[in-house]
Amino acid sequence: MTTKVSACWQKNPALAWREIDEVTVIISPTDSVMHELNDTGSFLWKNIDGRRSAAELAELLAESYEVAPEIALIDTQALLEEMSSRKLVMPVPATGGELR
Amino acid sequence: MSSGAAAGATPVMDRLISRTVLKHQPLSVHFDLTYRCNERCVHCYLDHDDHGELTTSECLSVMEELARAGTLFLTFSGGEIFLRPDLYEILAAARRLHFDVSLKTNALLVTEERAAQLREFGVRRVQISVYSDIPEVHDAITKVPGSLQRTLAAIPLLLEQGLQVKLACPLMRENLLAYRGVMALAERIGVPYVLDLTITPMMDGNEGPLAHRIPVSSLLPVMQDPLLHACKPQPSAEAATAMKEYPAAVGSAVSSGMESAAYEDLPCSAGHNSCYISPYGDVYPCVQLPQAAGNLRRERFSDIWYHAPQLERLRGIRESQLPVCSRCRIRSYCERCPGLALMEGGDLLGAYERACELAEQKARLAGVFEPISALHKERAASAPQKVLENEIAFFVTSSSSD
Repeated sequence: MTTKVSACWQKNPALAWREIDEVTVIISPTDSVMHELNDTGSFLWKNIDGRRSAAELAELLAESYEVAPEIALIDTQALLEEMSSRKLVMPVPATGGELR
Repeated sequence: MSSGAAAGATPVMDRLISRTVLKHQPLSVHFDLTYRCNERCVHCYLDHDDHGELTTSECLSVMEELARAGTLFLTFSGGEIFLRPDLYEILAAARRLHFDVSLKTNALLVTEERAAQLREFGVRRVQISVYSDIPEVHDAITKVPGSLQRTLAAIPLLLEQGLQVKLACPLMRENLLAYRGVMALAERIGVPYVLDLTITPMMDGNEGPLAHRIPVSSLLPVMQDPLLHACKPQPSAEAATAMKEYPAAVGSAVSSGMESAAYEDLPCSAGHNSCYISPYGDVYPCVQLPQAAGNLRRERFSDIWYHAPQLERLRGIRESQLPVCSRCRIRSYCERCPGLALMEGGDLLGAYERACELAEQKARLAGVFEPISALHKERAASAPQKVLENEIAFFVTSSSSD
């Protein structure tokens, strides 16, 4: 993980997505690839708003899924890294402000 | 495009379709923004006069309702969508609401600046109607001199912006021999194409456009053409690559999904997880099934979608229970459309001549011995009975007049 846990995350604004039946389906218009997020991924996706950091997202995850905070943080960071590598999410630039 | 096989439903798409069919969620919506058009195609099924299109704010409200209902795939079409002065406002809202947006257009009004705007608003795909690579043939169908040249000039502008372009070529009497030219053109440009044999009556039932339909007997050379890949769209190079790069549940290329097993015993997706909205707010199961289920100026989308009797009835139809077609032994060669069954045969559940003829022709080409559809068998069986009835009637008449 190269991004600090305090960095905030935002969704890639170019994506099309919908939560259908508790599963989030995301389409990248640039390469037409469909991504499907499972329950935990969908939970994180819903809460990624450009203002929450990995640590804060992990906190929400720990509360909702009743898992130990340190496990939740590891899972959150892994999921963010995975989603970031697929260009679904990105860290908010340090100068602040969500990308439009 | 070239020689790639048709893209099958990907695992992600398959699961999405299964879930939405099962729960009747409107995954895909075809939204015609206008019936006005700057071409006058000879086979068109639309009345191009404006009878009171939805306003910008009405369109935006409809889209908000669709997003809430779970629609992901949104296709804007017409008429010619670029004739809507508020098109970009609508596209901006579509992006804000996270739809996957496709457009259908003749591209006459596409400029470099407009192509860039489409990109900016996140449009993924643009389908463009091209009837021939020969200007005289194309322009005679659109009735707009110079239209092929203008349409083709737009394609590189869209491709430069990274948009996916697909050529759509409805085949009719006027351009039957032009399909190979369209295929070659698509190959040259490097885009997929789709050839479409469907020419439908007008939405008000007027059968004028059917005069342009190619008789099945004349389609034989087309159906036998080894260059033709069953008239199905081919995956774009990017999508094909994406399918290889992202296997299984991680990510996969978007396909039409019509091959999905979830549709197995259903006539099609109409009313199950897709529908059509007219520029006047009428909600239909499909553009080819003109039975309005409700109007969005009077009712909410979710009320229409979940409670309209027309849609509930449609959802109850199973191919295996169709009165005639379920008994047809060449059913697997048939592309029966419930809408056309209604418009041409007068019965949503019935068989209709065109589908039967096409299925027989396809089955014959596939080597089936004496392929006869259930409809034609039924007619043949009832013919001697009719003759007998007529003869008895004549006898009775003759006897009573003696």
